[in-house]
Amino acid sequence: MIAAIGLVLGIVAGLFLEPTVPTWLQPYLPIAVVAALDAVFGGLRALLDGIFDDRVFVVSFVANVLVAAVIVYLGDQLGVGSQLSTGVVVVLGIRIFANAAAIRRHLFSA
Amino acid sequence: MPEIPRRDASMVLLTSLGEDSLDAGYARAAARRRHGAPPARHGRVILAAGLVAIGLLLTTAAAEARDRAPATAQARSELVNEIEDRTETNDRLETTLATERLAVSDARRTGLRITAQGSRLARVLATLESTTGAGGVTGPGMSVTLTQVTPDDSGTDDDPRTTEATEGRVSDRDLQTVVNEVWAAGAEAVSVNEQRLTALSAIRSAGEAILVDFRPLSPPYEVQAVGPPSMRSAFVGGFGGSYLQVLRDYGIEFTVEDRGELVLPASAGLRLRYATTPNDVPSGATPDPRDRTSPQ
Repeated sequence: MIAAIGLVLGIVAGLFLEPTVPTWLQPYLPIAVVAALDAVFGGLRALLDGIFDDRVFVVSFVANVLVAAVIVYLGDQLGVGSQLSTGVVVVLGIRIFANAAAIRRHLFSA
Repeated sequence: MPEIPRRDASMVLLTSLGEDSLDAGYARAAARRRHGAPPARHGRVILAAGLVAIGLLLTTAAAEARDRAPATAQARSELVNEIEDRTETNDRLETTLATERLAVSDARRTGLRITAQGSRLARVLATLESTTGAGGVTGPGMSVTLTQVTPDDSGTDDDPRTTEATEGRVSDRDLQTVVNEVWAAGAEAVSVNEQRLTALSAIRSAGEAILVDFRPLSPPYEVQAVGPPSMRSAFVGGFGGSYLQVLRDYGIEFTVEDRGELVLPASAGLRLRYATTPNDVPSGATPDPRDRTSPQ
């Protein structure tokens, strides 16, 4: 319950406050979103597996976003930013797919 | 006996990616709970804060993406507008330049006509201007029109070298060849889409557009040439005609027709940057038969 309220609160805050993303942060936003989605799907799967843990979820979310951003930042500094972002997206995408498949098996038992 | 390695041992990175899709922390936390460890303190609050952050991140990213798409489109349309504006200004300035040039040459002609030597110089000047392209010319000739046909079915061509992009499109090389053959057939003055060609003209391409003297042309391309009546048969019977026949295989249609009276404009881009007239030679002392007969 509190989780749903938190999510709705965050979305509403984003809609009304319309925070402007500073230019230096903009390249990391898409990667951060993919990392956040990975954490969300992981959390959902854990919830359905019955092993959900608040702390693990939040820590994995924050760590995912930060590590993804750091990897892209490092790639930018080394001149392989777009390649590394592709790599991050591929890895996280595979995880999202695997977790989504597990969630699907739980929900539809198929 | 050593253990037989797994067949996919070399792909351990890939397999682990697919198998360990769930954060190992969940399993460990569940195990801790089974062993009687207390649940995390302030767990709910942390969860709520994390979800607020996720919601904020998602909406911000969505808003960003929504705001950025029109911004790029707007920038693009602004650039297009600016290009069109400047092209229009350029055209207007060029028209002004042409009329001013006409006025200048008229004034010069009337000024030179005062003396006998002056009127001779005026004739020489007119000939030079017509020859070099600095002045407009008129006369009989022919026109060669190249029309590009967009291929309706590009899938029939399985030659990988002829890509869809070049099929049926007139290239700068085609236009160069045609113009060269028109000169070779005896043309005295040539223009492409109202752009007069001079000794300094360049036909080249930028992207998909063909430029003549850095002015982009739009198809169909019409090469107009003033020359002798034999010019057309010389062009069609020579290399130019066979080149156009080959072009027809690539979906480029052409017409060659005689024109009784052609009016070719003066070149807009004829200016010398490095070459100057030698000081000891007066500009009127150009080899001209009429000049040589004069006793003065």
